[in-house]
Amino acid sequence: MPLTKRIIPCLDVRDGTVVKGVCFKNLQSVGDPPTLAVAYQEQGADEIVFLDVKATVAGAATLRSAVKKTAENLFIPLTVGGGTRSFEDVRETLKAGADKVSVNTAAVENPEMITECADAFGSQCVVVAIDAKRDNDSWEVYTYSGTRPTGRDAVEWAKEVCDRGAGEILLTSMDADGTKAGYDIELTRTIVRATNVPVIASGGCGTIEHIVEVLTRGEADAALAASIFHYGQHTVADVKEALRAKGVPVRESVAE
Amino acid sequence: MKVSVMDYGVGNLHSIAKGLERAGATVEVVSDPALLLGSESIVFPGVGAFGAAMDILRPILPELNKHIVDGTPTMGVCLGMQILFERSEESPGVGLSAFRGEVKKLKSRRIPQMGWNDVVPEADPLFEGVPRGAQFYFANSYVCHPEEDVAVAKTEYGESFPSAVRKGALCGVQFHPEKSGPPGLRLLANFLRIAEESK
Repeated sequence: MPLTKRIIPCLDVRDGTVVKGVCFKNLQSVGDPPTLAVAYQEQGADEIVFLDVKATVAGAATLRSAVKKTAENLFIPLTVGGGTRSFEDVRETLKAGADKVSVNTAAVENPEMITECADAFGSQCVVVAIDAKRDNDSWEVYTYSGTRPTGRDAVEWAKEVCDRGAGEILLTSMDADGTKAGYDIELTRTIVRATNVPVIASGGCGTIEHIVEVLTRGEADAALAASIFHYGQHTVADVKEALRAKGVPVRESVAE
Repeated sequence: MKVSVMDYGVGNLHSIAKGLERAGATVEVVSDPALLLGSESIVFPGVGAFGAAMDILRPILPELNKHIVDGTPTMGVCLGMQILFERSEESPGVGLSAFRGEVKKLKSRRIPQMGWNDVVPEADPLFEGVPRGAQFYFANSYVCHPEEDVAVAKTEYGESFPSAVRKGALCGVQFHPEKSGPPGLRLLANFLRIAEESK
């Protein structure tokens, strides 16, 4: 069996609580990060992504304490992103218990940082998050939580971050995010085919079928989803059962 | 069992320390490599790069090699496994050379290998009680090519490679047991048992 496709519940954290919003707006609280992370681990999640959606300099210490608590009882990988501005931030976040750190705005503004982090910590813990929005026949990279267009082409940027040593791409379609209408299959497949690192697809998941679709037609290595898990609509185990039925390789959950 | 976990100054040691503690070890995180020389057992964790890790260990290389090959129970995880070999394509310079062989880049289009993969073990105490078909979490671009008969498990990713090696109480695993849920914790407990029994 090849490497299994990963199912990654995402915790969007604001002021220490997990929130869910539509298109980066109208956020609602759904629970605390350590409790949700452990619940998803028990459901068979392959990894947890923890994103600080209102990252501020003053909030850095608070964030690290939340990361530490979240990591405490996790025996699966934890990726942390949001507000990571510098090499030192990456080091501190790893020290707090993250296995990988996702960098978005800082990578665009200072691409050398990707290489510095990859050289020091290894490519496997450097995730570059790309927020992409369709612009006619291409996609543009946005920074600052999707508020600022950069003029960069998402496909070119994805190739560049690989060359600079990123170990993984967390790709969010801003058009699809929060709509629950499905992942952007075309964007995902385009980025997967243009790059040579694993790609996590994000944005738009509303049903189990959407996950199946992005991992098959979309060719993604992993699917990230939030609301379908947060509201108890489905468990990670439900998703894996559906994937297995379609012949998609997924990790077997093994009881202790 | 007291385990000294080497801190190369980069990355997350929290998970491996917690995993070993849960398996019953007393963990001491060590940032001065000289402290490894008197240790009861050693874990080299899996973060960072070959060259950077060896730069830290180089000042005490002959003594550390002797301490390990003399039978101090030692486990290397991911990069920690790789530095137990003689050399690596990743960086120039020698490794700890406790296993014969070298470390080479994976022959696959998509690297790092990132995610859960099958590990097919031989009947070996390191995998005792690990359920058949259990998968483990990998995050690596390089793999070990032993030049001695030490492989106790195999994995496929573009090529077949040894995902676990063992020679007495000296073990290496290319995956991250501390990130691999219950089967990984079981493997850490098995290492501690092997370490106890080797005393």
